[in-house]
Amino acid sequence: MSKKPDTTRRAIVGATVGVGLGLGALSMLAPIAALKPKKEVTPETEPPKEGDVFVYAEGDRKGKEITLDDLPKGGPAVLAFPKDPETGVVKSGERNNLVLLIRMDPGELGPEVADYAADGAVAYSAICTHLGCTVSEWEPDKGLLLCPCHKGFYDPRHGAQVVGGPPPRPLPALPLIVKGNKPVCAGGFTSQVGVVAGLEPQGGSCAV
Amino acid sequence: MYRWLDERLSLSRLNKKFLRKAFPVHHSFFLGEITMFAFITLVLTGVFLSFNYEPSTRLIKHLGKEVPAAYASVLYIDSLPFGAVLRSVHHWSASIMIAAAFLHLLRILISGAYKKPREINWLLGLALLGLSVVTSFTGYSLPFDAFSVTATQIGYGIGASMPYMGEWISQLIFGGEYPTLHSIPRVYSLHVLWFPLLLAALIGAHMLVMLKQKHTQPAYAEKVAPGKILGVPMMPQQGFMMGVLFLLYLAVVFFIAGTWIAHPVEVFGPPTASTPAVKPDWYFIWIYGILQIIPGDLKVSLPFGAVMNSEFIGGVMIPGILGVVAVLLPFLDTRKTKLRYMELPTRHPVRTSVTFALLAFMLTTTLAGWKEEFGFSNGQLWAIIIISTLATYLVSYLIIISYWGRPPKGEAEEA
Repeated sequence: MSKKPDTTRRAIVGATVGVGLGLGALSMLAPIAALKPKKEVTPETEPPKEGDVFVYAEGDRKGKEITLDDLPKGGPAVLAFPKDPETGVVKSGERNNLVLLIRMDPGELGPEVADYAADGAVAYSAICTHLGCTVSEWEPDKGLLLCPCHKGFYDPRHGAQVVGGPPPRPLPALPLIVKGNKPVCAGGFTSQVGVVAGLEPQGGSCAV
Repeated sequence: MYRWLDERLSLSRLNKKFLRKAFPVHHSFFLGEITMFAFITLVLTGVFLSFNYEPSTRLIKHLGKEVPAAYASVLYIDSLPFGAVLRSVHHWSASIMIAAAFLHLLRILISGAYKKPREINWLLGLALLGLSVVTSFTGYSLPFDAFSVTATQIGYGIGASMPYMGEWISQLIFGGEYPTLHSIPRVYSLHVLWFPLLLAALIGAHMLVMLKQKHTQPAYAEKVAPGKILGVPMMPQQGFMMGVLFLLYLAVVFFIAGTWIAHPVEVFGPPTASTPAVKPDWYFIWIYGILQIIPGDLKVSLPFGAVMNSEFIGGVMIPGILGVVAVLLPFLDTRKTKLRYMELPTRHPVRTSVTFALLAFMLTTTLAGWKEEFGFSNGQLWAIIIISTLATYLVSYLIIISYWGRPPKGEAEEA
């Protein structure tokens, strides 16, 4: 007789404490979401847009604007950051803005890049699609772009197709036009820049 | 003085109950201790480093050049008296801690010491090994030179390749898409505060469980004194040996670290737009090797647009499968033999040979990390990896059973 009310009371106390703790834990989800840092877009981290010119990303001429004559025909590629000509801001605050500028004989370019090229000059994202290193080296014998981290090779004549090593997809291209003997950005990247984490790549990451 | 303390804290009781505990002696039992000495050294040298390090990537002027503050502060550490040596000791000790922990794990594995009732300590040990590797990786990015930034970027990419939650986890640890302004403060907090605290707590639990369950006995103890615990008292004999070993450890590691300065930050220079060709520390090269030779277009589609790509399969899944097998091992191998004594590796040819085959796999995948230097093709390397792994198993098994004979029935079933 005396046992039954006792167990009910325990069950009620237990359930109350349980529900309270559960709700408390659930409410913690909101502050936990704050652990993921938010992405802040500043003029330095904006993606390249139509009309941007290009400046050297490194070396003695770092920050100087690049003209078509600065690009050696047939390679190697030049590492560049886009620069907004109106505000003069170099968009070097975001690694994904690193661009490879390379000039080829227009006849050598395959149909994949012909639309994006201007006077033989093509621009590709410099961020390797494998694990995000900079595709900073040049293989002079075969005329290929080389990522030094895991030896991924890209062919700049044919839309930066992967021709060796582990990268899963080509480097995104950046459309160019020529204005005043300078290569100028004519739109956003053709596909998502950099490592696509565990997802099928979605179209371009940059505003046209 | 002793009496004064004894009356208040009953030290004699503590002495009788704990400090006279018998510790078995065997040379392979020192591997765990070396791991702990390395951890203590890491904490002490880490305190020194954290006093001088500046966890920020904002650009400051240093000798007329703009460099990240973290990079400049590491140059400052190197310029202090013994600064470069202490930083080198920190780096070397991390390597030694991981090596000693891994050898300690192999000792437990081939002597069957993971079995009931020691499953808890086996799991704690695996967690400690994993956390040590993660902790040392977070330390990698702190100098913020060209080399460490690239290496961390690769780690970020591998973490982010996990389907569904990878991006979230990587951004959580590295403070956004590495490197951002928030990356170094966050990684610094993890590296100097939370991971070491967690390591210390797990080490404490590992020790307490070991004290409670008593250390495994060497095999000869079964013949000398069956059912009894054979060994030397913790104080003074075992304590003395540990003290000598710690001093010896310090002497050796200071010699190595002073002679070969680890990670010369000034040589690598501050981060640049282009990334140098990097190889990770030796304990990651087997994963790096797998990533070099795995086909890049490997892709398994999952629901909701997620994919398992080659980075995930090579960098997360293969090590992950080894980890899951290790976690399940004590629950699969439930034989009741020799629960208190070390098993002789030669009486367990299958388990011993599997362990050797695993080592052969790790060594040959490490070799694949030097693919470019040796000029191997992917196909040759896969052949080398698969053939040496299988051959090692076979040869080791044949050697064991032809020299020591087949194990008696009842001891032979294996996990």
